[in-house]
Amino acid sequence: MAARNGFLKPIVVAMGVLALAPAAQAQTRAETLRQLTGNNINTLDPSMPGATREAFGVSTSTYDRLVAFDRKLENGVWVFDRTKIRGELAESYQVSADGLTITFKLRDAKWHDGSPVTADDVKWSLDRAVSAKSLSAGQLGTGSLTKPEQFKVVDAKTFEVSLPKPDRLALANLATPLAPIINSKLAKKHATAEDAWAQEWMKTNTAGSGAYVIESFKPGEQIILRRNENWTGGREGRLPYFKRIIEQTIPEAATRANLIEKGDADIAIDLQAGDLPALQSRGKVKVDSTPQSNGFTMIAFNTRMPPFDNIKVRQAVAAALPYEAMFSAAIFKRGLPMFGASWSEVPNGTFPQPMPVKTDLEKAKRLLAEAGHGNGLKTTFTINVGSAAITEPMAVLMKEALAKVGIDMEIQKLPDAQMSTAVAEKKLAFFTEGSSAWLPTTDYFFRTFFSGEQRWNYSSWNNSTIADLTTQARYELDPEKYEEMSKRMIEEYLKELPLIMLWQANQDAVMTPKLDGYTYWFHRQVDFRDLARR
Amino acid sequence: MRSARAIIIRVGERLLSSLPALLGVLVVTFVLMRVLPGDPAVFFASGPNAGQAEIDNLRQRMGLDQPLFVQLMHYLRDVGTGNLGNSLTTGQPVLTDLRQRLPASLELTFTAFTLAVIIAIPLGIAAAMRPNSLIDHGVRFVCTLGVCVPTFVSGLILIFVFYYILGVAPDPTGRLDIFVSAPPSVTSFMLVDFLIAGDLEGWMAAAKQLILPSATMALFVIAPLARITRASMLGVLSSDFVRTARAVGLSSVKINIVYALRNAMLPVLTIAGIMFSTMLGANVLVEKVFSWPGVGSYALDALLSSDYAPVQGFVLLMACIFVIINLVIDVLYGIADPRISVA
Amino acid sequence: MSVITLKHVRWVVASNPLTLVAASGAIIIALIGVLAPWITPQDPLATDVANAMQPPTTAHWFGTDQLGRDIFSRVVAATRIDLAIALSAVSLSFVLGAVIGGVCGYVGGRLDRVVGRVVDVLMAFPLFVLAMAMVAALGNRVENVILATAFINLPFYIRFARAEVNVRRDSGWVEAARAGGENDLSIILFFLLPNILPAMAVQVSLNLGWAILNAAGLSFIGLGVQAPTAEWGIMVAEGARFITSGKWWLVAFPGAALMLSVLFFNLLGDALRDILDPRMRT
Repeated sequence: MAARNGFLKPIVVAMGVLALAPAAQAQTRAETLRQLTGNNINTLDPSMPGATREAFGVSTSTYDRLVAFDRKLENGVWVFDRTKIRGELAESYQVSADGLTITFKLRDAKWHDGSPVTADDVKWSLDRAVSAKSLSAGQLGTGSLTKPEQFKVVDAKTFEVSLPKPDRLALANLATPLAPIINSKLAKKHATAEDAWAQEWMKTNTAGSGAYVIESFKPGEQIILRRNENWTGGREGRLPYFKRIIEQTIPEAATRANLIEKGDADIAIDLQAGDLPALQSRGKVKVDSTPQSNGFTMIAFNTRMPPFDNIKVRQAVAAALPYEAMFSAAIFKRGLPMFGASWSEVPNGTFPQPMPVKTDLEKAKRLLAEAGHGNGLKTTFTINVGSAAITEPMAVLMKEALAKVGIDMEIQKLPDAQMSTAVAEKKLAFFTEGSSAWLPTTDYFFRTFFSGEQRWNYSSWNNSTIADLTTQARYELDPEKYEEMSKRMIEEYLKELPLIMLWQANQDAVMTPKLDGYTYWFHRQVDFRDLARR
Repeated sequence: MRSARAIIIRVGERLLSSLPALLGVLVVTFVLMRVLPGDPAVFFASGPNAGQAEIDNLRQRMGLDQPLFVQLMHYLRDVGTGNLGNSLTTGQPVLTDLRQRLPASLELTFTAFTLAVIIAIPLGIAAAMRPNSLIDHGVRFVCTLGVCVPTFVSGLILIFVFYYILGVAPDPTGRLDIFVSAPPSVTSFMLVDFLIAGDLEGWMAAAKQLILPSATMALFVIAPLARITRASMLGVLSSDFVRTARAVGLSSVKINIVYALRNAMLPVLTIAGIMFSTMLGANVLVEKVFSWPGVGSYALDALLSSDYAPVQGFVLLMACIFVIINLVIDVLYGIADPRISVA
Repeated sequence: MSVITLKHVRWVVASNPLTLVAASGAIIIALIGVLAPWITPQDPLATDVANAMQPPTTAHWFGTDQLGRDIFSRVVAATRIDLAIALSAVSLSFVLGAVIGGVCGYVGGRLDRVVGRVVDVLMAFPLFVLAMAMVAALGNRVENVILATAFINLPFYIRFARAEVNVRRDSGWVEAARAGGENDLSIILFFLLPNILPAMAVQVSLNLGWAILNAAGLSFIGLGVQAPTAEWGIMVAEGARFITSGKWWLVAFPGAALMLSVLFFNLLGDALRDILDPRMRT
C-alpha cells in the first residue's frame, strides 16, 4: 500500500550510525548507558514550547551553558548544590560589588563542528533566549534577564551581563537548561525570514558544544548519543565515562523495572513507588533515593470558590486529612513528609518544610461548624490519569476520612490535558498536583506558586503581604534580612493555608549495581555526564 | 478478461462511494476532538515556567484562536494537500510519524493475523469434521479461553513469564533489540528488510521480538476465526453439492479439501478481513504494553494529551485502511467465487 | 421460521456438555451480581492501610489491596457493576440497533441509504479509540462507559437487523399481515422484530463478554469507572502494576472473575446459537 520509498527513515542527525558493525557495538556495551523512561523526548531544542522534561535532560548533555551548579553528597547520594555555581563554558566569572554586572571569561572550547566558541555566539544565544517566542524568555525573566541590551561582547573571549537590579537569581538562571549556548554561525544558516532564530531547524538538530553529540533521534521512541571527544566543560575538565548513551521510551513501568533487574538496561528514574520495596529486597539493583528537595505534592483549594474561600473550611480539611495513611499507602513512605511538624514559631526560612498540620477530627468538626457547614458539605476532588497510581489511593483515603467530618467528596479523574486546562482556567475547587521549582529559593517558590493570575498559582491566592514580600526579597542581598522575609511569607501561608503541602516524594533512581555517580538535579533528569560504570 | 474489467469497475465504484464515508470520519473526528475539554495549548505550554503569554502564543501557532468552522476548513484544505498537521507529543509532522510507525503496526498485525489463521483454520476444520465430539468441544473451550483475558493482562503475563522468569524472550522494548543494527530500510518491514539484506541473525532477532506481542493479539481472534470456519464448513458439508459429490463417489479427502474447504472459505474471508482491520485499530493496548512503536500507541498518547492532529491523522489512516481492506476482500471474493472461476 | 422445542434444547445440552457448565456459570454470576450487597463479607470500600497488600488468609480469602481493602468483597461487589455495565450497554445497542435497522430494512429507499452511509462512517472508525475519545469527552463515569460501549457496537446491530428484516420484508406472512390491514409500524414491531429476535439474542450473549472486556480496557488506560467503586477492570489494571513485585493476588482474583464471566457468556452465546439455529445440526 504505502511501503515504497523512504518509509521508515529515522532522523539521523549525525552520521556514523551505519558505520558501526554489530561486533564493534557488542564490544561497547560496557561503555554504553541505556536509560529507560516512560515519557517522550519530543525536541532537541529545550526552549520549544511543549518540550518535555526528558528533552531538558538530553539538552544538558548536548549543549553547554555558561555556568553550572555544583553537587554535594547527602546521605550517600549526590544532589545538586545551588549555592555553588561553577563555570561550564565560562572558565571563570565575576560578579561586581553592586551585583549589577557579571563578567564571564570563556574557555577555549570547540563546537561539535570543530569551530571555536566565541563571545558572539554567547550573545546570540542569550539574545535568542530573551527575544524568541519560547520557554526561555519566561524562565530568564525570573532572573531579571529580559532584553538583548543586557548582553555585551567585550572581546572574543569575554562577555558581560548587566542587570537593572541585583537579582538573586540572575546567575542561577544561566545554569538552567533554558539558557543553552548555541553555535550561532551554524544556527543562523538555518534561520529564515519567518524563523529568525532557527527554532524549526533546532527541534531536530543540535548546534552545541556539549559532552554528547546526537547519533540518532526518533521522537517518541529513542535517542542515541555519542561522546564528544573534544569536550572540556566537565568538572576538572574530564570526559564523561560513557561513550554512548541510549535513552528509550518504554511506557510500562513494570517493563522498565524488569529490564533493569535483568541487567538489560542500566537506569530508570520513573518506576512506581510500589515496586521499589520488592526491587530492593531482591537485591539485584541499586537504588539511589533522594527526596525531591525542590518539589512537592500538594492539595490545592481554590481560594476564590466556595466553600474553600472560607479559611475555616480549608483549616478543617487540613485537620481531617489522614496524612500518615496517605503517606504510606500512596507513596509507600518514599519521601519526606511536609506535615506533622510541631513548631509554633517558624523555625527557618526554608520552603517547603514540614508544617504543623496534623489529623485532628474534633478540631475539623469544630471548624466546619464555625464556618457554617455543621450539617456537612459536598465537593469534588480532581486527580489526573497520569498520576492515578499515586493520587487515586490518596483520594480514596481522603474521601473516607472527610466523610467522618461530614464532607461528601466525589472523586473525579481527568485525562492529563483536561486537568491542566481546568487548573489553568481556575475551574477546579479542590484537587491535587505535584510540581517543582528549578531554582528553589523561598521567594521563587512564593512568586511562582502563590501569586499572580497564572497557572501555577494553584489556589488562586491573592495576598498583598506575599506580593510585597516577594518583590522585595528578590533583590535582597543581605542573607539575614532575606531569611526574615522568608519566615514572614511562611507565616502568612500558614495563617491562610491556600494549599496543603503533603510531601516531597523521592526521586528513586534504580540502576544496575555497578553504576556510579548518579546525581539528583533540579530538573529531575539523569545527567549522563555524571555516570560511570565501576 | 471480462471479469478483470468488471473487477476494475467494481474497485472504482467502491473507492468513489467510500469518499463520503471518509469525509464523514474526518469531520466527526475533528469535532469530537474539539469537544474534549482539554486545551492542547495549555497542556503543552505547561512547562515549569510557561505563563499565559506562552499559552496564547502556542494557541495562535496552532490556529486554535480561529472559529471552529474556519479551523475545520483549514484542516480539510491541509488534508487535501497531504498535510496532516504537527504532533505536539513528538514534535514531528503527523504524516512523518504515521509513515514511520505504520509499518510497525502492519507488521505486528500481519504476523498476529497469520498466526491466528494458521491455528484457527485447522482447528475449525477439525471441529467441523467431528461435530459435537470431544475435539469439537475442546477446540471451542480452548479458543474461547483466549478471548476471555484482556489483552493488557495476557501481554503483561507473557512478558513476566517468558522474559522475566524464564528469560527466553528478548526484552519487550520494540521492534528490534537496541544493540542489533537495523537493516537498510527498503520496505520498512523488519522481517522483509533483513531477508533482503541477507542477515539471518538479524531476521531471527526481529522475529523473536514479534512473537510475544503477536501471540497476545492472535489469542483474541483465534476464537471467532475458528468458530466461523467450523460453522461455514458444517454448512458446506451438508450442502447439496457435497452430497452429490459423495453420491458420485469422489474420495472424501478430495471432497473435504478441494470442494468443501474452498467454498467454506468465502465467509471466512469476509470475517477475516473485518477482523484484520479491527485488529489494526484495536492493537492500541498491545502496542502500549510491548512498547511497540506503532500507530496505536501513538494515537493513545495523543488522545490523552488532547493532541488533536495525531488522533485525527490516525483515525483517517485507519478509515482508509478499512476501505482498502474491504475492497481487497471484495476483489478476492470475486476471484474465489466458484460461480466465476468454476462455472 | 424455526420452532424451538424443549426436545431440541435438551438435544443441544446433551450433545454439548459445555452448555450446561456455561449456563449454570452464567446463572451463578448473575445471582452473585444481584445478591452482591448482601453477600460481601466485608465492606468493599472500607480501607485499612495497616493491613495493606496482605496475601490471602482466612480473614481475607483473596488477600487485601493497596489500601487494605478486602479483595474478595470487592470482587463480589464488582460483579454487580460489571454486569450492569455489560447488560445496559448491550441492551441499549440491541434495542436501538433493532429499531433503526428494522425500520431501514423495511422502509428502504433514501432513509436506508442515509443510515447506511452513517453506519459506514462509524464502522470505519478504530472502535476502541472512538470509545476512548467518547469517554474522555463526556467524562469518566459509569454512564459514559455504558454509552460509549453501546455506541461503538450500534453499527453492527443496525446492519444485522437491517439485513434480517430486508430478507423477510417481502415474505408471505408479512404480505399476509399487510393484507390483513396491519400498518407498517405494527408489522415492524410485532411481526418482523420478534422474528429476528432469536438471531439477535445470540449476538447479545456473545457481546456481553466483549462489553466487559471493553470496559476493562478503558479502565486500564484510566478512562473507566471512578474510584473507589469496585470494578474488575480497574482492579485488574491496578493489580497488573504489582505483578513485578510478586503481589499476584491483586490481579489474579479479579482477573479470574472477569475471565470466567466472559468465558461463560461466550460459551452460552455459542450454545444459544446452536439452539436457535438448527441448521447447525448434523
